[in-house]
Amino acid sequence: MLMTVLEAVLVAAAYYLSARLALRLALIEKNVTPLWPPTGIAVVGFLLLGRRIWPGIALAAFLVNVPITPTPWVALATAAGNTLAPFVAAELLRLVGFRREIDRLRDAIAIVLLASLLAMLISATIGAAALRLSHGIRSDDFAAAWAVWWTGDAMGVLVVAPFLLSLLLFRPRVPTSWARRVEAVALFVALTALTLAVARNHHPILFVVLPLLGWAAWRFQQRGAAPAALLVAGIVTWAADHDWGPFAHTTLFAKMLTLQAFNATVAFASFVFAALVMERIRAREALETAAAELEERVRRRTAELSTANRWLTREITDRRDAEHRLHLRERQLAEAQQLAHIGSWDWLIDDDRVTWSDEMYRIYGHEPQQFPVTFERAVEQVLPEDQGRIQGNVAEALRSTADRALPATEFRIRRPDGRERVLLAKSKLLVGRDGRPQRMVGTVQDVTEDKQAEREHRIAVTLQRSLLPERVPEIPGVLLAARYVPATADAEVGGDWYDVVPLPDGRVGVGIGDVAGHGLRAASAMGQLRMALRAYAVEESSPAAVVGRLRQLVALLAHTEMATLLYLVFDPETVSVTFANAGHPPPLLIGDDGSAAFLESVPAPPLGTVAHADAYVDATSPLPPGGTLLLFTDGLIERRGVSLRRGMARLKRHAVQARGDLDGLCDHLLATFDADEASDDIALLALRPLPIAAGSVHVRVPADPKALAPLRRTIRRWLREIHAEAQDGYEILVACGEACANAIQHPYGATEGILDVLLARADGEVEVVVSDSGTWRRASPPGGGHGLLLMRAFMDSVEVDTGVAGTVVRMRKRLADGGSA
Amino acid sequence: MSELARIEVASRGRQALVRVHGEIDLSNARDLSAAIEGAVRNDTPTLVIDLTDATYLDSTGVQLLFILAERLRTRRHELRLIVPKEAPIRAVLELTGLASIVSMEPSFDPGASEDGRPDAEAGTAG
Repeated sequence: MLMTVLEAVLVAAAYYLSARLALRLALIEKNVTPLWPPTGIAVVGFLLLGRRIWPGIALAAFLVNVPITPTPWVALATAAGNTLAPFVAAELLRLVGFRREIDRLRDAIAIVLLASLLAMLISATIGAAALRLSHGIRSDDFAAAWAVWWTGDAMGVLVVAPFLLSLLLFRPRVPTSWARRVEAVALFVALTALTLAVARNHHPILFVVLPLLGWAAWRFQQRGAAPAALLVAGIVTWAADHDWGPFAHTTLFAKMLTLQAFNATVAFASFVFAALVMERIRAREALETAAAELEERVRRRTAELSTANRWLTREITDRRDAEHRLHLRERQLAEAQQLAHIGSWDWLIDDDRVTWSDEMYRIYGHEPQQFPVTFERAVEQVLPEDQGRIQGNVAEALRSTADRALPATEFRIRRPDGRERVLLAKSKLLVGRDGRPQRMVGTVQDVTEDKQAEREHRIAVTLQRSLLPERVPEIPGVLLAARYVPATADAEVGGDWYDVVPLPDGRVGVGIGDVAGHGLRAASAMGQLRMALRAYAVEESSPAAVVGRLRQLVALLAHTEMATLLYLVFDPETVSVTFANAGHPPPLLIGDDGSAAFLESVPAPPLGTVAHADAYVDATSPLPPGGTLLLFTDGLIERRGVSLRRGMARLKRHAVQARGDLDGLCDHLLATFDADEASDDIALLALRPLPIAAGSVHVRVPADPKALAPLRRTIRRWLREIHAEAQDGYEILVACGEACANAIQHPYGATEGILDVLLARADGEVEVVVSDSGTWRRASPPGGGHGLLLMRAFMDSVEVDTGVAGTVVRMRKRLADGGSA
Repeated sequence: MSELARIEVASRGRQALVRVHGEIDLSNARDLSAAIEGAVRNDTPTLVIDLTDATYLDSTGVQLLFILAERLRTRRHELRLIVPKEAPIRAVLELTGLASIVSMEPSFDPGASEDGRPDAEAGTAG
């Protein structure tokens, strides 16, 4: 309510002020002007603020008219007309849907025809009538007054209303560029100047302003046209009032006619032209919007299409990749099958259709996919002796009502070229939903080579076993133990070997070696080497000579294999070893005091390599009392991921920990190896001189004449250790030899047995006891009876005790020096 | 050589000289005996066995020498032994009585040969 009053007062104030200004232009009396802006203000007020402001307008109109009308009644009537006319104008405009922007032709026409020309008839008629009735004017002036009033009000509406409305448009929706502002200013300056110029000119050339008005309407539409029209109308009205240029020396009517016609033309042309331009612009904008919209839709559709296209492309690529991967996998499967000699098959039981993989065909000796396969065809190539079993297995499987894997089975086939192959089949039966066997699938592996390899492996193992000594021979004066451990079961047989050769002169040859390579060939090469060593060991006294001759032999062998060899000769009399080494790990000397050292010799290359004939030289080392010599192949020191040096250090460490006899030592060393760690086979041989403790020794002597020589060497060692004199020693040696020879010659014959020889020295006396488990035969001793004679001659006492368990010969002799040692 | 004993055979005119190196026992006596006997030819009626380098001789060896001497006697051949005086085996030969049927000299006397053409012929026996 307060707002309404405030607005009404504001509108009233504007009305009043503009009226006072306009009255200065009055042409008739003091109250009829050619241009009456308050009417335009009132129309705009009604349009913008609504009907409710009418009291403000009525009051303002009354106040304006009171001083210029003869009576208050006339002022009141005039005010009523002046209020009613803009009210009707606004109502009419609202009725026809007038737009304030005047941007349509119909709006321009509406404001010209309805709001100004038609509605203003009301105020002109009421005002002129009131003036006449109050005798403000003469009756013959009535028409002129009415006309001036009407045109003044109409012009007020026509010129002022659009201008005021156009001010509203100056709230710019888009910022105005500097160029446009300069253009606007230039236009108005030019328009003002031109209008003033033509208005002061005596010739009637007012119309030349029209192009500039057109410019304003065209370039700035209503925002330019309305102010321009107001400006021009204002200046020309002023010119008419002051009798300038074209308005001088004419009648009032002519002046009015010219002025109003000009103003009407200006207003009408401006608004219509501006409205037309606006309409065109809006049409263009609409078109542009539509075009942009269309463009946007096309763009969006294109984007959708391109997305779809990308998706499709990716789909195609994915599919191609998948196909490629599938092909790759198929090929990999085929290659894997080919490599592993595994074929796969699939049997559709009801259709009796068998699908074979390419490798199946190859295994059966055909080109891949050469012919269609049926069950009959699949078993056709199976050897008759295996066919029954296969068919039986299948028949039994077909009775099954649930999926089941069949046990793996081996069978043989014959290829078209006649060759036999051994196949390992694994298969599975698949049962359908109805519980009936539907498919059988499986693989077939060609294991012919594996079988062959398995057989070869068995042969090689057997061969190697047979080539190694069944057990270490019993040799008087020396203790021996040996082990051979093949590499893990799946690995091939190695070429590790050892041998103990009792030499005729009583010494003991010991060889250990490693033939490079595995399998049958290595095993047979090893056998040849071992036999050759046995022969050369007897012929040659020096180990270096033996190794040298073996080098020559290996060079002559057809398939030259590289082989390491350590050959040593142990002398039970001197208790020392002489050895030559061809690229083999050195022997380890383990003392009974916790020490251990490798016996180094001049390094020499393995057999089978280019080696100088003189490369091998003898090295000699005494064995300390209680010492043990360990010979081994590299399997004992070589372990995965461990250096040779560390392997040897490790062996030393474990070797000194072992206590007890040689078998215990060997087992201890092998126990330090996990079975998994054994990457190579291991040969191991331990040698220890027979211990002599406190002047006594116990010698085990095989019942073999060949054992007599080492026995004598042992006895000589013992004699030396008890410091016996040479003559005494020789006599004891002969007596002991005679006792043993007698036992060997007679009780055992060809069978093997062991004599126990006990040699002891106590209180300057020597006792020799020879026991056997046979029967002492006096009848025909080997020496024709001389043996017993010699024993009795050389010894102080000889007792022969023949019992059920065997014979014991006990001999005693007092030493010449009285046993000072 | 790793043999227990080996022999060297030489011909000294009508004498056959056999040198024995090493030890003679049950294991090699028979083979040695055969080898030595093979050295005797009809044109060498005297066999001289040099035992200077024989380090061991047991009753088996003595027995074989008895047999050899007996055989040579039937063939009208003569057996002579060379055994140094200080040799340990001398006691064995004397105790068994071989010394009483076979002549034993401390060293080889080349004067006993008719011509001194040396004809070495080596042989071994296990």
